[in-house]
Amino acid sequence: MKDQYTISFLNEEVVLISFANKIDFEINDRVIELHRLLAQTPFPGFIESVPAYASLAVYFNRSELSKASPLPALSFVEGFLKNLMNRLPANTFSERRKIKIPVLYDGEDLPALADQQQLKIEEIITIHTAVQYRVFMLGFLPGFPYMGMVDARIAAPRKATPRTCVPAGSVGIAGFQTGIYPQSSPGGWQLIGRTPLKIFDTLKNPPALLKAGDEIFFFAVSQNEFNALNEY
Amino acid sequence: MSIKMIKPAMITTLVADPRKGYRRWGIGAGGAMDTVAMKVSNFLVGNEGDQVVMELGYSSSQILILHDLLISATGKGFELYLNNKLFPLWRPVKVKANTLLRLAKTTGGTWAYLAVQGGWKAEEWLGSCTTNMSAKRGGYQGRILQTNDVVEAETNYSADETGSLPWSVSVMSLNQFYSLPNEIRCMPSIETDWLSESSRQIFSSGEFGVSLQSNRMGYRLYGPLLSVKEKRELVSSPVEVGTVQLLPDGNLVVLMADSQTTGGYPRIASVIQADLPKLAQCLPGEKIYFKWLSFSEAENLWHDRDTYLAELKQSCRLQLNLMR
Repeated sequence: MKDQYTISFLNEEVVLISFANKIDFEINDRVIELHRLLAQTPFPGFIESVPAYASLAVYFNRSELSKASPLPALSFVEGFLKNLMNRLPANTFSERRKIKIPVLYDGEDLPALADQQQLKIEEIITIHTAVQYRVFMLGFLPGFPYMGMVDARIAAPRKATPRTCVPAGSVGIAGFQTGIYPQSSPGGWQLIGRTPLKIFDTLKNPPALLKAGDEIFFFAVSQNEFNALNEY
Repeated sequence: MSIKMIKPAMITTLVADPRKGYRRWGIGAGGAMDTVAMKVSNFLVGNEGDQVVMELGYSSSQILILHDLLISATGKGFELYLNNKLFPLWRPVKVKANTLLRLAKTTGGTWAYLAVQGGWKAEEWLGSCTTNMSAKRGGYQGRILQTNDVVEAETNYSADETGSLPWSVSVMSLNQFYSLPNEIRCMPSIETDWLSESSRQIFSSGEFGVSLQSNRMGYRLYGPLLSVKEKRELVSSPVEVGTVQLLPDGNLVVLMADSQTTGGYPRIASVIQADLPKLAQCLPGEKIYFKWLSFSEAENLWHDRDTYLAELKQSCRLQLNLMR
């Protein structure tokens, strides 16, 4: 696969490398592999990189970088990233964590979703638990995982009017994406259930249970099983 | 060596060096809204620029100083009173115990910074003491300060009397950050070429107002509506402080200190870092206009700011050492 990408500035100390503007497993693989390679072989002044669906933001400290290289920052980082991309073998796919997430499927939007898609609630559960999801990225809220791809039969758009408070642990659908609310917050995703797992715990480091690149399976639990597993 | 909040400002938090290295977990860096005023307040009392200061926004506040302290107040739109006597901002001040400190809201600014020698005690979370209100961690119990909260300074100080030290930051030199308060300079950003030609023109010629729906996460603007050449969905991608997003209704939002790490709206411009303090100090209702700047011009301004702050830190150190 010949990589196509553009490199530009998000501000004076952040470079963005964009591969495309779409949700795609192979493109996200490239983002995550570059993210990993950069962490292993950082450049002077490198702070962190942030993977998204199809782009990677690279944060650096300009003063640190200028001490190490006389080149203008953009030229240096651009050259460094191009070099890394050339060293990134095609079709690399490093080991991904596989994580199982229990869900009690009792979401408030489940009945309406079933109606709308002309499915039984049990069918929605079967469809949602049938596939393996990719954590494409974290964003929106601390620890919020954007996962996909959701089966077209249950891919419902965001609610027209967002809820003012979605409880922590809620599992939702927005188009072909599925996600889990790490803390209670306003939100517009269609709620289908909730997990008893704390996916964001500020007493842990890192606080987020999931990271970009993880492979996720959801499995249905009963109310009793939920109560036994409940971490909230 | 502590103070008691008698009446906090509308938004009062402890801020410090931004929290770096956790954005990939969706945890934004945070930090001060006006980083220049924040750093300068620290320098004036002999601190490093990123030590913990109190940020007070939008309204007047009253604080009881319980022990002797060396403090400084900076920012825009406030007056400093100690036991009802007016003191200058941007200057170190010795304060005796049992003094009532008031930061009275005036016009032309939004945020004040109150620094103390040694910094304020704050909870460290993931390598930074700055408050993250979304995760409810860092700063003072991860939240806004409330009446009767007691905040402690890290070090002791002994003041012979209440009074300003005989030196301050030159107001002239600060003009490089705060003059032309309504002119906000921007660089093009990732989706700037999505804008229609006329919208690109309007962006740099129109007048935009800061909306009431503005907070530490972002300043919403109202004014002429902008549009893209063709409607396209944007998959979520990283955003940063200063990113100007175009909302579906044609209005703009500029992401500020507590912005989220990723977003799904076109990034049509990026406010240069040197102008973020100025924008932060704009009150709701104030008008701003944007001016395009090339990347290399922004880089030069960034460098100038860095040099100025490094020099200021040195001269404050020198003055404080001479006092000893």
